[in-house]
Amino acid sequence: MLEIKNLHVKIADEDAEILKGIDLVVPKGEVHAIMGPNGSGKSTLAYVLAGREDYEVTDGDILWNGESILEMAPDERAAKGVFLAFQYPMEIPGVAGLTFLRTAANAVRKKRGQEELTTPGFMKLVKEKAAELNIDVEMLKRPVNVGFSGGEKKRSEILQMAMLEPSLCVLDETDSGLDIDALRIVSDGVNALRSPERAMLVITHYQRLLNHIVPDKVHVLAYGKIRKSGGKELALELEKSGYAEFQKDAA
Amino acid sequence: MNVAVMKTKAEMTLAETFGSVAEALPGGAEVKAARAAAIGRFAAGGLPHRRIEEWKYTDLRGVMKDALPVAVGDETKTTIADVIVAMGAIGRIDAPRFVLVNGRYRKDLSNLSGASGITVTPLSEKLAEGDASGLDATDEDRGASALLALNAAYVSDGAVIEVKDGTKLDLPLLVVHVRAGAVPQLSVGRNRIVVGKGATVTIAEIFVAVPGSTVDGQVNSASEVQLGEGASLSHIKVATDLGSVTHLANWLVELGGESSYRAFQYTSSVGVARNQLRATFKGEHAKLDISGVFLGRKSEHIDTTLFVDHAVPHGESRELFKGVLDGEARGIFQGKVIVRPDAQKTDGKQMAQALMLSETAEFDSKPELEIYADDVVCGHGSTAAELDHDLLFYLRARGIPLDQARALLIQSFIGEAIAKVDNTALREALMEEAETWLASSAAKSV
Ligand SMILES: Nc1ncnc2c1ncn2[C@@H]1O[C@H](COP(=O)(O)OP(=O)(O)OP(=O)(O)O)[C@@H](O)[C@H]1O
Ligand SMILES: [Mg+2]
Repeated sequence: MLEIKNLHVKIADEDAEILKGIDLVVPKGEVHAIMGPNGSGKSTLAYVLAGREDYEVTDGDILWNGESILEMAPDERAAKGVFLAFQYPMEIPGVAGLTFLRTAANAVRKKRGQEELTTPGFMKLVKEKAAELNIDVEMLKRPVNVGFSGGEKKRSEILQMAMLEPSLCVLDETDSGLDIDALRIVSDGVNALRSPERAMLVITHYQRLLNHIVPDKVHVLAYGKIRKSGGKELALELEKSGYAEFQKDAA
Repeated sequence: MNVAVMKTKAEMTLAETFGSVAEALPGGAEVKAARAAAIGRFAAGGLPHRRIEEWKYTDLRGVMKDALPVAVGDETKTTIADVIVAMGAIGRIDAPRFVLVNGRYRKDLSNLSGASGITVTPLSEKLAEGDASGLDATDEDRGASALLALNAAYVSDGAVIEVKDGTKLDLPLLVVHVRAGAVPQLSVGRNRIVVGKGATVTIAEIFVAVPGSTVDGQVNSASEVQLGEGASLSHIKVATDLGSVTHLANWLVELGGESSYRAFQYTSSVGVARNQLRATFKGEHAKLDISGVFLGRKSEHIDTTLFVDHAVPHGESRELFKGVLDGEARGIFQGKVIVRPDAQKTDGKQMAQALMLSETAEFDSKPELEIYADDVVCGHGSTAAELDHDLLFYLRARGIPLDQARALLIQSFIGEAIAKVDNTALREALMEEAETWLASSAAKSV
């Protein structure tokens, strides 16, 4: 279970708070969606979950399976099952995709006390997962994300997720930039990972994604706080009304 | 120019001991005369110092405070096993090798079978026969001239490599300079490489030390290289694990028409290194590619100085150097490209990049273009940057621990330069050397 309690966050070296007391619980086996206006702090929340150092938590706590993760380094969190699919995946010149995937998969396996993958074992797994996501393995011989299209980068994130077998998946606008077919393929990939042992937090601007990945709950994050929570129908309401009412709240 | 300068203790000793050492060095009367003339030139110029523009970052008067005894012969009981261990990852490459220990050719440790089409003769033999060619060599940089003169005066041995026209050899020829024993010495070697028309070869000069030997010493090494028409030479230099040695290397290269010269220089774990290379285009349509990697930590000082002289039209030159600097290490890159008035249609590009792993490391880069022709394409660039924090976070978010993430990013940074080494065995061995270096230090500091 993911428990976010009264989380206050600011940018290190700056005064302004971005997250102003987030309270959120995502039980295992559930998928929650977060929607909200641009600049409301959705990516900030995602980064703080993954352990990015540019942010400072000034109050509150984040518990994953009852354990606070705030003091953990990003790689320790990854080993504990936390995975963030980035809104803007980065390019890593000079590091081949396959090397990267294998290093990452074996690093988390080692920390989780699982056996590391052999070369043939790894290749078999990566070919299988890549095929499911319609990714050409040849592409993975190139440096990570270098020269990939926006949609290819997003698919590459989901491949990484599939390879690392996380238990808390945070997807930051994974749908943006995907064409209609890719959206379905990626959603299928995400749905394949749905299990009673996994919790998922899906950040999106578009109700359409939620037709594919049907959430248990939808939350509105605006001006640094969860302003409203509801069932999947909340996404449809937002589609019509927009975020105007929350703006008033914040004033 | 001829302002009288006080000589340092080291300079005086180097000039004065010549009389007593000369007898023990190889060479007949002509060679002895050439050596005496050379020590005269050295005495006049002295060690390169910071008031010589090309040496402003590497002041040898300050660095070489003491003159070490000149190595005239090898008295160590170095074995082939010692040499293989000293060579690290490169020791596992099965290739013809010419081994020198403390500046002297060791036939018992060498094995030249497989080097078909190539004649390798110890320079000491040539000198003994009275061959004094090259001992009068000078350079436009008077600092380099002084070191060449010191080299000519004291040279004990080296490899004279003649590659027959049309030879094609996949195996690299390894010229291994080994330092061994407990006594710090000045080791002086000189190689001569002549690649015949249309021949294609890889020659690697490896400078290493037998583990457990003195960590002190000085090396003065010179290589003269001539590429015949259409010849292709991949010329690799590796200097690793040399302790606090002062390592001075000077390569003088002449490119014949349509020849291709690809140099790669790898330097790590050395006290002070100066790798100087002058390449002159003698024939048209020749190609030059000089690249390298330098890895420095603690107070190591690694200087790469290049002079690329486009003397004729239609030449192409590329330079790419990548450095990783940790602790208080200092990296220097000086790259001068001269395009003479006749050298139209020259195409030259240069890039030097340093990755700074600490705030106290320093990188000085001085690219210089001197262009006297109008129809040319030339460019250069230089950067010094820290490891990208966002990329580090990305890797760590995927479960890769900090040390490993840093190593991966550093490897990818230098990998671009190491990729220039065409010979697969050497390229992989160098990548392995770099990984060992990273594992031993750089990856651990934050
Ligand atoms: N590193 C940073 N430096 C300065 N400001 C930042 C930084 N990161 C985030 N911010 C600011 O914090 C606020 C929240 O940004 P965040 O990226 O979390 O928004 P978001 O909800 O993900 O928006 P979008 O829907 O556009 O992706 C914005 O005003 C942004 O400018
Ligand atoms: Mg965002």
